[in-house]
Amino acid sequence: MIARQKRISGGIGLDVGSTTAKMVRIEDGEVKSRITGTHNWKELVNGIKADIISTGYFRNSVPHKASVTEITAAIYGVRHYFPEVDVIVDIGGQDTKVIDVRKNNFLINDKCSSGTGAFLEFAANYFSIGLDELGLFHRRAERIPDINNTCGVFAISEMISQLVAGYSKEEVVAGMHYAFARRISFMIPEAETIVLIGGAAKNEGMVMALKDILKKKILIPGEPQAINALGALKYFS
Amino acid sequence: MHVSKIGITALVPPELIFACGGEPVDVNNVIPLSKKYPRNKLCAWTAIWKEMLVERELSVDSLIVVAGGDCHNALVDGQKVAMSGIPTHFFFYPFDGDPEYMESQLHRLSEFLGGLEFPEKIKQINDLKKLGQQIDIKRSRGRITSGEAFSILISFSDLRGDLNEFQKIAASIKEHNIETTNRVALIGVPPIFYDFHDVARSLGLHIVFDELPYEFIRHQGADIREIARDYCEYTFARPLDFRISFLQKELEKRKVDGIIHYTQFACHHMLEDEIIRSRLDYPVLTIQGDLPGNTPQQIKLRLEAFREMLERL
Ligand SMILES: Nc1ncnc2c1ncn2[C@@H]1O[C@H](COP(=O)(O)OP(=O)(O)O)[C@@H](O)[C@H]1O
Ligand code: SF4
Ligand SMILES: [Mg+2]
Repeated sequence: MIARQKRISGGIGLDVGSTTAKMVRIEDGEVKSRITGTHNWKELVNGIKADIISTGYFRNSVPHKASVTEITAAIYGVRHYFPEVDVIVDIGGQDTKVIDVRKNNFLINDKCSSGTGAFLEFAANYFSIGLDELGLFHRRAERIPDINNTCGVFAISEMISQLVAGYSKEEVVAGMHYAFARRISFMIPEAETIVLIGGAAKNEGMVMALKDILKKKILIPGEPQAINALGALKYFS
Repeated sequence: MHVSKIGITALVPPELIFACGGEPVDVNNVIPLSKKYPRNKLCAWTAIWKEMLVERELSVDSLIVVAGGDCHNALVDGQKVAMSGIPTHFFFYPFDGDPEYMESQLHRLSEFLGGLEFPEKIKQINDLKKLGQQIDIKRSRGRITSGEAFSILISFSDLRGDLNEFQKIAASIKEHNIETTNRVALIGVPPIFYDFHDVARSLGLHIVFDELPYEFIRHQGADIREIARDYCEYTFARPLDFRISFLQKELEKRKVDGIIHYTQFACHHMLEDEIIRSRLDYPVLTIQGDLPGNTPQQIKLRLEAFREMLERL
């Protein structure tokens, strides 16, 4: 455990999460990031001499000069873009974290897969489409079927019944995004400025559903998946 | 002479059990280190002691179940133990703190235990509790680690069944010089993880208050009348308002920076979380445990993030 008083300059931020590994450097004031699968994290630091500041599930399993939890890293990373943030929602591969920056409070759902990125991957797999196509499917939907199950596995069987009932794949994907966003929305407190980060923030369909349910503006930084890596770096500088 | 082993499922005045010639055994003590995976469970605490008692893996001559004002899961699982043939007594705390009612409960309990035989034990236990209170204060001042203090304080429910032996252990606890930044209060039922206090410490959190064990060293009295009047204030059995105003005073005294609210899966105390959060004006980390063992990684992450948060304040 390194006290934060320790300042580290010119380092890199490395976020090795449950599903992906993210690396951030700041070059001439510009944030540069790279992303790969968790188990390939080494390729992000190959040949790099700078000090590593780690975060994410594997923060203590990778070489590092200092480390910080994803929760604190998220706050520092998000503030780089949105200093006025009230609430941060980080939807990752295995958990969803909601951080109330005003109250210094955080909530983590890591007990149930249905509110995590893994469920979205599971659903994309079922339709044999890429993660990046989920948003496209969502946009094409004309109707939105109800999917109510709170359990990820049973939500898939509910999706199957909606297909049997005559809804298109696109519509069922949209229904799935709404069911997902509804579960996330229960974790989010009343707030002015909500910032969404984590890999699932790249899923436009889910984001559209969440905006519609919360009836709120949701801010998403340029590379939402690498925010914690950036935050780890900023925490020590 | 055969000394009866009297199982207890929560706080039952141990003064009275010893004074009636019994040897109390808090059936929860074996649970954090148990590897049992209970078959039919809500709360793992009651499910495991129930199964161990019914299967006679934990040997007691009789059992006292604390039901009223405390735990309905225990009330049901206690009845299963009774049906398996172990003499069982159900003990009810008064929700409204009525001392007459409490006194009548204590008289019924002492009847179940065969009557007062060694009233001098009451004084001996009162003295031991003074020692416990000193340990508690020293821990809060950083002279004793929270892990060591907790292991002694939590044992005050049954005094490990042997007053002289327990006296020796409690008196020989080592003193250190511990930095007590990030002072936290641990409230709710005790964590089901055997290494929780040491893990919290290794992550930079100093637990300066343990709500339930503090109840174990706080109540006393010279005779049944006095014991009844003091144990009436057992906060867990009383309305939330009562418990919260008590907590407010204790937390202030101990100058805590934050609160960890431990909750147990399928325990009604979980429902209290939102009230505790809104009424106690401190940063609150709520965690939940289910099965016994070491502290899981997901909980360590929360503890570490909580420490980082306290340091940012
Ligand atoms: N291009 C993409 N489009 C839609 N969703 C994505 C995309 N990339 C990643 N995801 C989602 O992000 C999740 C991984 O999020 P991430 O924040 O990297 O997780 P972690 O930090 O836990 O490793 C995946 O499970 C997936 O649901
Ligand atoms: S944790 Fe809750 S449910 Fe379990 S024994 Fe204690 S009071 Fe009862
Ligand atoms: Mg992550």
